[in-house]
Amino acid sequence: MVCIYLFPVIGAVGAGIEFLSIVGAGIIAGLLGSLTGLGGGTVLVPVLTLFYGIPIIFATGASLISTIATSAGSASAYVKQRIANVKIGIGLEIATTLGAIVGSLTLVYVRRSGFIWIIFVVFGIVMLSSLVPTIQRTAKEIPPLMKPDWTTRFFQLSGSYYDSKISKKVDYNGIRWWMGEIVMFFAGVISGLLGIGSGAMKVVGMDWAMNLPMKVTTTTSNFMIGITAATGSSIYWFQGYIQPFIAAATAIGVIIGSFFGTKILVRITNTNIRWIFFWVLAFLGFDMLLKGFYMEGIISISISEQFELSVVISVIMLLGLITYFRGKRRLSRG
Amino acid sequence: MVRSYNDIVSKVLRGGVVASLVSIVVGIILIFIYGRADGFTISTLANVREPFAQQLRSSLLLPSNFLSGMIHLDGAYFIAVGLWILVFTPITVVVISLFEFAERKNIRYVVMSIIVLINLFVAMFVIR
Repeated sequence: MVCIYLFPVIGAVGAGIEFLSIVGAGIIAGLLGSLTGLGGGTVLVPVLTLFYGIPIIFATGASLISTIATSAGSASAYVKQRIANVKIGIGLEIATTLGAIVGSLTLVYVRRSGFIWIIFVVFGIVMLSSLVPTIQRTAKEIPPLMKPDWTTRFFQLSGSYYDSKISKKVDYNGIRWWMGEIVMFFAGVISGLLGIGSGAMKVVGMDWAMNLPMKVTTTTSNFMIGITAATGSSIYWFQGYIQPFIAAATAIGVIIGSFFGTKILVRITNTNIRWIFFWVLAFLGFDMLLKGFYMEGIISISISEQFELSVVISVIMLLGLITYFRGKRRLSRG
Repeated sequence: MVRSYNDIVSKVLRGGVVASLVSIVVGIILIFIYGRADGFTISTLANVREPFAQQLRSSLLLPSNFLSGMIHLDGAYFIAVGLWILVFTPITVVVISLFEFAERKNIRYVVMSIIVLINLFVAMFVIR
């Protein structure tokens, strides 16, 4: 008789613990995502799949919806400060929203065909390849003012913002709009396919292709991520890829995590600390890659061995990157 | 861009996140109070490692049932509404921008905003 009354209570306590632990994962993802500049989703999907055993389809769904929350939250401040260029962002969204449709439909196809291991492998590759441009991001803040091309005038890509760090107004001319659109299409595909904001690729599109200043690039990318993720989320919703209990927990967690991440970021003066965060990302990227290969039977090492191997490879990779970037910095000083 | 446009966009983005979080938190509280959501017990809901077909997933929560679900204080529908508020937040910004561009007679950007909205419309209502 007592059991009848206690059973729902025990169930609720267990559910409460599970909910809070997923909120915890969201907080870690939000923290690491904002400290590295990669965004919460990129950390959330591997954490939920590798450590919580959540099916990847629900992890991507929860991640994509959480991405909108963090994007909207941070973009709100950047738009108010007039650093993010909403006009350029909306123009580029033509390609990212189209890409997000293609990416989400590819995910639907991949899942129905039983090739879900591919998502793990692609995720690992995208995560690892995002590290270099993200680390490099700090290298140059303001690009040289380029001669406007026809797209600068036609698509109105000139602008300015006040840089509080150097206490002056920075003017810029965006160029090669068409090249930005091409990169953005692929950023959209990755976002829809993997349930992430693909901010690193958006930054590449605006910084490398369109020669926009880093502050404009990162803040506009932040604004754009929400629109891209909204496109993918709609398709995910009707396909059933969003589990409300998981998505609710991650949305709350990622918002808390990224809020504190931004606060901590301002206080971190020693850039070496950031390498530790990048190591975590490299580790997660390798672990996802190995998990994908393991699921398909390409490798047959145990889960604990995958973990150990990921630790070793990520340490080697990061040491290589540190040596490379320090050498490059020394060369530029000399 | 005039001052008020940036402020409106900023307020819409922040307001959307806050409204969505409130609805999600209310939904979670209701799930814990009633111990169930949309016919699933709280234990089943929290069993997040279960395969796809055995979980409460978004395709079961139809937008046409959102209102009745909320009237019946079903937590799953409050969460669903909260998540959809999140989805509509950036879309609202595109709509506001469209009006802003139209007011400034910036035809190129009016067209571009419409294309973005068409893509969003296709993702929402055409693809199933």
